[in-house]
Amino acid sequence: MGYILNQLLNGICQGSIYALMAIGYSVIVGVVGMVTFAYGEVMMIGAFSAYYIFIYVGNNLPLAILAAFAGSFIIGIVIYKLCYERFFTAPRHISLLCTIGISMLLKNLAQIVFGPETKPVLNVVSNKTFNINVFGSTLNIRLLQIVIIVLVIVLAAALTLFFNRTKYGIMLRAVSQNKDASYLMGINVKRTALLGNCIGCGFGGIAGILLGIYYFSVSATMGSAYSMKAFAASVLGGLVDIRFSALGGLCIGIIENLGIVFTAATFRDIFAFAFLILVLIFRPQGFVSKKGARV
Amino acid sequence: MKKRVLALMMSLILAVGLLAGCGGSKDADETTKAPETAGEQQDGEEDATEPAAEGDGEFKGTIKLGGLAPMTGTYAEYGKGFDIGFNKAIEEINAAGGANGYKLEIEIVDTQGDTVTSSTLCTAFAEDDEIMAILGDFTSGACKADAEIVDRYGVTLLSPTASADDYASMSPYCFGIMGRQDVEAPFLAKYILGKYVPEEMGVDVQKVGVIRVDSDWGLSCYNNFMKQAEQESYEVVVETYATGEKDFSSLITKMQAEKPDVLVVMDQGDAVFQIFNQADAIGWEIPHVALGPGTSEQVAAQLTDNNNLIVTSPFFFDPSDPELAAWAEWFEGEAGFAPTIHPACAYDCVYLIAEAIEAIGDGEVTRDAIRDALAELPAYEGLSGTIEFTEDGDIRRNYMICGVKDGQWTVLEGFEYGAEGV
Amino acid sequence: MQKIKDFYNKYKVIILLVLFVIMAVIPFLGIETLYIRYMCNIMMYATLAGSLNAINGYSGQMCLGQAGFFAIGAYTGAALSKNFGVSFWLLLLVGGLLAMLIGFLVSLPTLRLSGIYLSITTLGASEIIRIIAQTWTPVTGGTMGIKQIPYPEFFGLDMFRPQYYYYIFLFLLVLFLFVTNRVLKSRVGRAWMSIREDQIAAKSLGVETSFYKSTNFMYGAFWAGVIGVAYAPFVNFIDSTQFTTDVGFNVLAMVVLGGQGTLVGPILGAAVVTILTEALRFLESWRYVIYALLLIAMMWGRPQGLVGASKSMLAGGKIKVKEDKAKAKAEGGSAK
Repeated sequence: MGYILNQLLNGICQGSIYALMAIGYSVIVGVVGMVTFAYGEVMMIGAFSAYYIFIYVGNNLPLAILAAFAGSFIIGIVIYKLCYERFFTAPRHISLLCTIGISMLLKNLAQIVFGPETKPVLNVVSNKTFNINVFGSTLNIRLLQIVIIVLVIVLAAALTLFFNRTKYGIMLRAVSQNKDASYLMGINVKRTALLGNCIGCGFGGIAGILLGIYYFSVSATMGSAYSMKAFAASVLGGLVDIRFSALGGLCIGIIENLGIVFTAATFRDIFAFAFLILVLIFRPQGFVSKKGARV
Repeated sequence: MKKRVLALMMSLILAVGLLAGCGGSKDADETTKAPETAGEQQDGEEDATEPAAEGDGEFKGTIKLGGLAPMTGTYAEYGKGFDIGFNKAIEEINAAGGANGYKLEIEIVDTQGDTVTSSTLCTAFAEDDEIMAILGDFTSGACKADAEIVDRYGVTLLSPTASADDYASMSPYCFGIMGRQDVEAPFLAKYILGKYVPEEMGVDVQKVGVIRVDSDWGLSCYNNFMKQAEQESYEVVVETYATGEKDFSSLITKMQAEKPDVLVVMDQGDAVFQIFNQADAIGWEIPHVALGPGTSEQVAAQLTDNNNLIVTSPFFFDPSDPELAAWAEWFEGEAGFAPTIHPACAYDCVYLIAEAIEAIGDGEVTRDAIRDALAELPAYEGLSGTIEFTEDGDIRRNYMICGVKDGQWTVLEGFEYGAEGV
Repeated sequence: MQKIKDFYNKYKVIILLVLFVIMAVIPFLGIETLYIRYMCNIMMYATLAGSLNAINGYSGQMCLGQAGFFAIGAYTGAALSKNFGVSFWLLLLVGGLLAMLIGFLVSLPTLRLSGIYLSITTLGASEIIRIIAQTWTPVTGGTMGIKQIPYPEFFGLDMFRPQYYYYIFLFLLVLFLFVTNRVLKSRVGRAWMSIREDQIAAKSLGVETSFYKSTNFMYGAFWAGVIGVAYAPFVNFIDSTQFTTDVGFNVLAMVVLGGQGTLVGPILGAAVVTILTEALRFLESWRYVIYALLLIAMMWGRPQGLVGASKSMLAGGKIKVKEDKAKAKAEGGSAK
């Protein structure tokens, strides 16, 4: 029992990082209206920005998170200019291929600039473990897991507030729902889309460094595996809905980890994608119940 | 429409230009005859003996070798070691008058640690009649895929590092000098788990937790490990993961629930320290043992608990041996990181080929002659130890136990069981 | 351009014959084996990209899972020929049909989906196929893959040299082009294209869109399977890492670069991509950086691909307008 609970906790922790990735992803898809395959590399850039903070400034987590956000935010501008701005009216596969190109570019450039080897991210959060008694069995919660889960919740809440309470947030939502109507309402659609893309990338960057802290390492090739996860999670949530995307990420994290309990770690990715396809067969639009806002 | 024609022409010009660029660099290679042709395209219809006869009067001729090395990708660190090791040996041999009067030359290509690339490049070498023998590749998987090719074309494949026990027996043309898994893995089971851990760490080993990579190499390790573990009557629980896995937390939680006495990781790459670090992170105190990384600096530098790792190694750059220490120092200067056994084996491989050419003597140097001479070679004292080929074409090595102390590798004195064998 | 087209239409048979003869004698010219191998790669990818183009370019569904169908063919061929000694030529058909069956199964949920949902489902299916290949050890060899796959035999000739293999790929490419050309000109092909241009209009005109979308998927999957069977002995060793989504993306890049919705496009795309990646090898680690930059540059310069149709919906509205202007200019210029 305690064992299953521990695995569930692993799943929730990993799922919350997936949720953060999915949130960023769905913000991008929402405001830009196109998917991206460069998201994994955006996360990698965020992770490396934070890594260099750890190296040169010390283990300062808030500063590192800020750096991760900023690093990915800037890459977001580049991606927007290269892949989206020109191709808003073009068929979707063109910008898709551009993001594939960007992904290849960043991954290989990173291997040259940062080096091909895995870099250690050690002792950022102390290895403290709390033993909690739940229904007679012990649950080992790591301080790191608490930090990650709390951080993700805070960030998600902040983004929700931003979307609901600020002018820019409302503009972003308007663009996400209907570009033409927003244009008619006097919103600068291109600039808003740029902002949305960058915010989404920034969230990806934070997710990147959280992965780095959780697995104690960052590397230039870390992105590709998670790019697919973020994509799948946000498709589960209906692609553009932030709350449901977060739920999708959480589900994938939990299912993966529970799947490993009953089978082997080599099957990990099967669970995520099989679950996704099952959901899509019965609910082609993901968890989202309302129609409309299709991409 | 004009635009389309323009684009077509542009792309054509681009393609032609690039091809021409390649051709150009090829010519440059031929004239300078630099040994470092790493990463270059394979040179074409070059007549190797002709320029050698003119340019290098003191040599009888040139013998070309092909080198397969993972210069980029997951195993880039080892590929770079191959490159340095091969070229160093070639330079030394040529400076000393060549192998039986022949000048040696090597052409190293990047296999990216990828099996298909390796077999493509291996075929290209095999098709090129100038290439007398092929050195490489790094992984057992790639070498096993290349085995069929060299068997068909009848050219020697001498791998510095392939250690799967079914590799060298695949073809009479396959050789390996890393030592075999059916020696190292049982050694680990018998001496590390059976002697060192109980005697030094006071842990009575009854139940062993094994986490291994799911690959040719990992399976070979595990099967050989199990043979000995059955004799020692350990209870073994095993978990596998795919290459490239990063998240081991659920795997470790699963393993922890089984309550083993010692944790053994079988992997050659980054996963070794990632698994141990993630095990540390959940506060799991257990002796760490690894099979595969050897005395890799990269692994030692990245551990959170830098006093808890024991490995088997056939070889250690002993600072007290002046020859080894000088080589290690020179290598570190070239590469920027300390050598493991792998570049030393690459270095030895070139010398072995040179020895084989010496052994041919006045006979004609052909692919088959090199193979036969190599198979018959008497015991050779190399940098990485004594090398004597078995019937299959691989060697048996003696192993010692090394451990990490304060982030540095040390040989654990008093536990040299190597001579006892398994 | 129009002149080239007219010239081509006039001497179609002769041009095709000359091209075919040139292609057929290339292995006799004493070209170095490595380059023959690259030619083989180009023809293989051309067929694979063509099979993807049959889906993406002609019915407008965006499939990202071609690597999965390719894998099914490769594994079927490798496992059956190695374990049971089944003839390579028979396996071409078996592998193709099996991939077609999987293609049918994948097409079932995708019939209700469109756009990006369809893409992710095909991508997911491709990943699942890959992971099954990676874990189903008794049949696929798991992570160890399948080694020493028997080479095809042709009347007793063991076709292990790239020079021989060249003809297998040439044969498959020509067969693919011939069959596809016939299919596209038939009722089926016209139905696919009507779905691409406007699904609702097609439906209202009585085109069974579900049926044709499904057959379209199966047709693409079939050829990916066939070329997969041919690929396995060619590389002699297969494992699951050769069928990642990156391979699927690479094939997609060939299709889009060459020009979606044309027969020549994918061939040109395959040639450009293969030559570029090989020719850039001298850049060592900068190779893929430069390749990626070129890829993006080509998308900026010619979004509809090297020989892409500018009048189809595939080229997009904005570009179409520009293209029309350019065309008007070009026609004005050529009148002189």
